[in-house]
Amino acid sequence: MASEDTRRQYTVTIGIECHVQFKTKTKLFSAADNDAREAAPNTLVNHIDFGLPGALPVLNKEAVRLACRAAFALNSEPQKFSKFDRKHYFYPDLPMGYQITQFDEPIVLGGSIAIEVAGERKTIGITRAHMESDAGKSTHPAGGDYSLVDLNRAGTPLLEIVSEPDMHSAAEAKAYARELWLRMKYADVSEANLYYGNMRFDVNVSVSKTDQLGTRTETKNLNSFRSIERAVDYEVERQIQVLEDGGEIVQETRGWDDTGLKTFSQRTKEDAHDYRYMPDPDLPPIVLEQSYIDEIKASMPALPDDYRRILSEIGIDAKTTSDIIAVPDTAMTIKHVYEAAGGPHAKRVAFWLLQPQSDDGEAGTETEVKAPEEQLIKLSQMVEGNKLSSTAAKEVLAEVLKTGKDPEVVAAEKNLLQVSDEGEIAKIVAQVLADNAKAAEDVKNGEMKAIGFLVGQVMKLSQGKANPALATDLIKKQLGM
Amino acid sequence: MAKLTRDDVLKLAQLARISLSDDEVTEFSEELSAILQYVEQLSAVDVSGLVSTNQVTGLTNVMREDSIKDYGYAPLDLLKNVPKTQDNQLKVKRMIG
Repeated sequence: MASEDTRRQYTVTIGIECHVQFKTKTKLFSAADNDAREAAPNTLVNHIDFGLPGALPVLNKEAVRLACRAAFALNSEPQKFSKFDRKHYFYPDLPMGYQITQFDEPIVLGGSIAIEVAGERKTIGITRAHMESDAGKSTHPAGGDYSLVDLNRAGTPLLEIVSEPDMHSAAEAKAYARELWLRMKYADVSEANLYYGNMRFDVNVSVSKTDQLGTRTETKNLNSFRSIERAVDYEVERQIQVLEDGGEIVQETRGWDDTGLKTFSQRTKEDAHDYRYMPDPDLPPIVLEQSYIDEIKASMPALPDDYRRILSEIGIDAKTTSDIIAVPDTAMTIKHVYEAAGGPHAKRVAFWLLQPQSDDGEAGTETEVKAPEEQLIKLSQMVEGNKLSSTAAKEVLAEVLKTGKDPEVVAAEKNLLQVSDEGEIAKIVAQVLADNAKAAEDVKNGEMKAIGFLVGQVMKLSQGKANPALATDLIKKQLGM
Repeated sequence: MAKLTRDDVLKLAQLARISLSDDEVTEFSEELSAILQYVEQLSAVDVSGLVSTNQVTGLTNVMREDSIKDYGYAPLDLLKNVPKTQDNQLKVKRMIG
């Protein structure tokens, strides 16, 4: 391990390329089903994705629309002119012998996103984003001397988002990846499920003691925020070690071993011009009208930063905000409640719907909550109006979320409506004071802590239906205070 | 453009995934050089101020709606063209991993 002192002499520079799978019904250039998650191998392929001679690709209109939405989510605008090129290389998962991508005229040029690390806000530049088709999926059976290729994924539309080398720590790399994930979710361009590989990250890392950038390595196909952080940490440490030992960094592609927690060399990267890029003659260029661009801009939903602003106005802390924003449906519901009923109701609803999120975006961590805003507002108003205790409200909420029933009906059915009838509560209070003479005496002697216990007993005896504020008043009254 | 070196030819062969004998390397470095020299005549043309021609059809925005289409054959039939398969997957020489 390099010492802390040694490490401090090096500047770390990180750039990230992210492949986002679009949530289209069909592939980028063929009308085959794009949902390969559960499909049997090679059942979602056709002559186009299979690269048969003479097959003619035709561009998916929806992919272009989603790329334009992504442009706005990256604080950019779609280019009015863009085109497709062929990038040639031989690999068994690429049946055409070239990938259709966008080389010198991509659909998105420039952009930026803000991240926050340890309370500091920082802007990461976006160099470009371009559309391209995904390759097939290969597996390497243990012990075999062969690999198997499933081409269901071949032709899936991707947006490759290339960042500027603006990140300088593993934490920044992770924050950038996470922010990108949120934006793609909110812009509704991708399912953005990391478990299914809907977003995959290639991380370029270099270290240098001088102003000049060091030789970089690219660690490919990271599919969780945690692995991005770990891979960067590992690569920084490895590169410093190599340099400190008098060695040189080889520009190469590396893989990430998620079990051994280390990167490993895969192949030296072919020079860019070896790809022999050429304009794809089968695909006429994309020319976008200003009216089309304006229409998409007008249709853009609120993005994570908008939600952060709203949640901060409501008075919700940063950690809770991060948990809420990780589930777009929840964030949207809170926003609607805020707009319709104001901050206090929105805050109450926020805490009802809040579920702690893993910050890793993996599948299964999200339970999306769907409840009509009007019912949530109504429920919140019942709590505010002392018709329901906050404990009872949670019980009602669970039922409302499950059945979609009116909260007042649910509260009545479950017999949870608070009793604000003074006479009835007074009887219960008298009973509690008689049963708990010691606590009553303590309260009388000024030990106000004990009053909480007495209120609790009243709540218990009333099966949660007593209004706690009224109960407190009555206890004091009956004790002659 | 100077003559293609042996190294140039070997690199091209590697990119094309073909193996060449020593004699072939010599032969192709001469033949490919001759082809390059022929094409090089184009360098004499003044193209300053010209935009490169990527397309000649004049078409733009050829797109289709995003709906699944039945192409009229079973996708697995495509595997009949594949030299080796296993479990409905393409079987190839082992890659990395």
